[in-house]
Amino acid sequence: MRSVKSLATAAEAGRHQREWFADLRRRVAAGEPFALLNADVPHEIFRTMDIPYAVSQWWASLVAAKQRSGHYLELVRQRGYPDYSEQYNSVTLGSAFDPEPEAGPWGGLPKPTIVVGDATGDVTRKVFDIWGHEPGVTFYPLESAAENEVPANWWELMPHRWEQAVGPARLDLLTGELENLVRFLETTTGRRFSESRFREVMALVNEQEEWNRKARDLIARTRPAPLGVVDSIPSVMLPQWHRGTEWARDIAKRFYEEVRDRVDAGQAACPDERARLMWIGRGLWYDMGFYQRFQDEYGAVFVWSMYLAIAADGYIRYGDDPMRALAARFAAFGDQLYTPPWSSEWYVKEARLHGIDGVVHLVSDDPRGSYFTARALEAAGIPVIEIHADNVDARTFDDEVVKRIGQWLENVVLA
Amino acid sequence: MPTALTALEEAYARRGAPRPLASTAPPASTAVPEGPADDRTPVIGYVGADIPVELLTAAGARAIRLTGDPESGSELGDRYLGGGVDPMARSVLTRLLAGSFGDLDRIVVSHDCEASLRLFYALRELRRVEPGTGLPEAYLVDILHLPHRTTARYNRRRIGEFAARLEAWTGRPLDLAGAVAAHNERRRLLAAVADLRRAAPARLTGRQFLAVAGAALPVHEHIALLERLLAEAGQLGEHAGRRVFLSGSDHDTPHVYDAIESEGYVIVGEDHSFGGLSPDRPVGAGGLDALAEHYHHSGPTAHRATVSERAAHAARAVRHCGAELFVAYSRTGDEAPAWDFPAQRAALDIPAVLLERQEYGRADLTGLRKEHPCAV
Ligand code: SF4
Ligand code: SF4
Repeated sequence: MRSVKSLATAAEAGRHQREWFADLRRRVAAGEPFALLNADVPHEIFRTMDIPYAVSQWWASLVAAKQRSGHYLELVRQRGYPDYSEQYNSVTLGSAFDPEPEAGPWGGLPKPTIVVGDATGDVTRKVFDIWGHEPGVTFYPLESAAENEVPANWWELMPHRWEQAVGPARLDLLTGELENLVRFLETTTGRRFSESRFREVMALVNEQEEWNRKARDLIARTRPAPLGVVDSIPSVMLPQWHRGTEWARDIAKRFYEEVRDRVDAGQAACPDERARLMWIGRGLWYDMGFYQRFQDEYGAVFVWSMYLAIAADGYIRYGDDPMRALAARFAAFGDQLYTPPWSSEWYVKEARLHGIDGVVHLVSDDPRGSYFTARALEAAGIPVIEIHADNVDARTFDDEVVKRIGQWLENVVLA
Repeated sequence: MPTALTALEEAYARRGAPRPLASTAPPASTAVPEGPADDRTPVIGYVGADIPVELLTAAGARAIRLTGDPESGSELGDRYLGGGVDPMARSVLTRLLAGSFGDLDRIVVSHDCEASLRLFYALRELRRVEPGTGLPEAYLVDILHLPHRTTARYNRRRIGEFAARLEAWTGRPLDLAGAVAAHNERRRLLAAVADLRRAAPARLTGRQFLAVAGAALPVHEHIALLERLLAEAGQLGEHAGRRVFLSGSDHDTPHVYDAIESEGYVIVGEDHSFGGLSPDRPVGAGGLDALAEHYHHSGPTAHRATVSERAAHAARAVRHCGAELFVAYSRTGDEAPAWDFPAQRAALDIPAVLLERQEYGRADLTGLRKEHPCAV
């Protein structure tokens, strides 16, 4: 008797996404510029200048959901490029090579006039640079810089003391790159960059993420949890791609209100909650049912995944200099999730905040290995079970993994 | 007296081995004492192509480029870094934890590729949470490569910070001019040695050149041996194999060179950082400014350059060394070279083969044999 019905905000976010994309296609067809952006680059600049944009990773996940990844990777392969490397970005690159782009999901991705990506890893810059050689497409790269020594408690410092958390070298670099980007966009699109509009956009982003923070805090302290990870992800992730709009701010607020109403009504993902679980690793998008599989037998609920938590802690930046504050949002964004000590200490903080009883760690070949995160959680006295990504194929976990987690719940977490 | 070539090959074989005096030196976890009172030469292990080694020499340190070993397993490196990271870095970490490099006072790491950066993060975190591992302090030198002024200014700042850090470690001012002069002299000599390999027939094999370039020697000893090698050039053999240009992943060991050359090829040029990447320009006068500019423009490596830069470089380099066959090598976990290959092939007028998803230290030559049956 799961009492959770899917959230109204999740349905609304899905509907909005289709309307937004249809409108984007209309605008681009009418001759407006179109930017394709990587997830970790400052969309806020494009929002401020009202330049239509889409996020590469969002498009890749839509393609995957429509079972079309193989088609686009094949187009990449046909040009002689590897189809086993950096798949998120190369799926999107594949749409640039598509002889029939309009056959793609939702009418297909329009051809971008500008592509912006940061030079994370060894391949991202190459992938986008290849795209930049397509006629009519310009690639604008941003650096991905690293710091020697950082204070561990970034989540406390970031909202106001981001200068201290990120360090001036990286902030000077990205601020300079963004100032140049604005000039480049002004020159190539003829649009103006309004400082007051920029401040408005920055304020809307902070408001949106503050609502996510309230929702995160409420879920963290409510027992039994009012909802599990499967129910919160769409209400948080889709609006994240629309940061800086009133729509996104308002839906974040309504998501919080939906959570609060559930709490007030005593609704729970699993009223008989006996264990609160955390998930580390990429999401099992093809098998979301996995996350609810341990509720009936063990009362074990996945209450935490990174999506709501990073919205709550990862984006908020206040300050009088909006361009530098924006640089502070992205100069070290990935470090928050993937670089120890930031990642490891933050996961422990989040586990404690949510009263986590056990952690399921999906070990994959992602080079941003999560060993130190799992280690920190164990050192904090929270049991961790590792499952290996080789056991995962595109259909479902095999019974062996489910059985192993069940035994772990019984013998360790609930013992 | 052994020939200079033999001496250089022996020094190459010793790279990464503990110093002879290891037993009398302080344990690895002991920091370099601050201040000039200590006249022991500090030993600094470094990782990656983008470390300005001139600064290590200028600080009076003995610099050792850390290398892996495909034959000794990498269990701990696999655990700490994860299986997706270039196995070369996993092996380096494993060997560091095993003490294979003897007593290092510090480790400096560059951001020349993703694997080096992840290695730095692992070293930093292991020291923080598992001090029992006895790892020395690690320091990141974050040199970046976008061809823009924003990046140039950033690099200049990072070079300045690194120089200041070295002075704080040793308590001595840097002798930068002297170090730059020495490393430029070594560059000049290595370029002359590369000419010997480019001769037809080649006077050095690729394997020999790798050893000559990577001999683990203080720069002045290295210079002396290179001078002697050039003086002894008349005694060098002739290597008439089919001439290969090797592109792609770094080779910190001779395994892949051995595998390819054992099939009758001779590797006359390469574009990775352990061999003779690019005609390496001298560092200009101008102190830290010139040094920062030099490393900003270094390359083009597979990990930091664009596809078109790499293709243009391949065309130039292949012509320069008279190669007859272009072999691009991409290790599993090091996929950037595979992205470069299509444009490289299109830019070349010689046959080109891609060996992709190769295991560390191995080269699956079946593709090569198929493509070039006449070569053996
Ligand atoms: S275990 Fe939880 S989800 Fe399952 S029936 Fe009981 S209360 Fe409902
Ligand atoms: S097989 Fe043909 S193309 Fe290949 S190396 Fe031999 S002669 Fe050249």
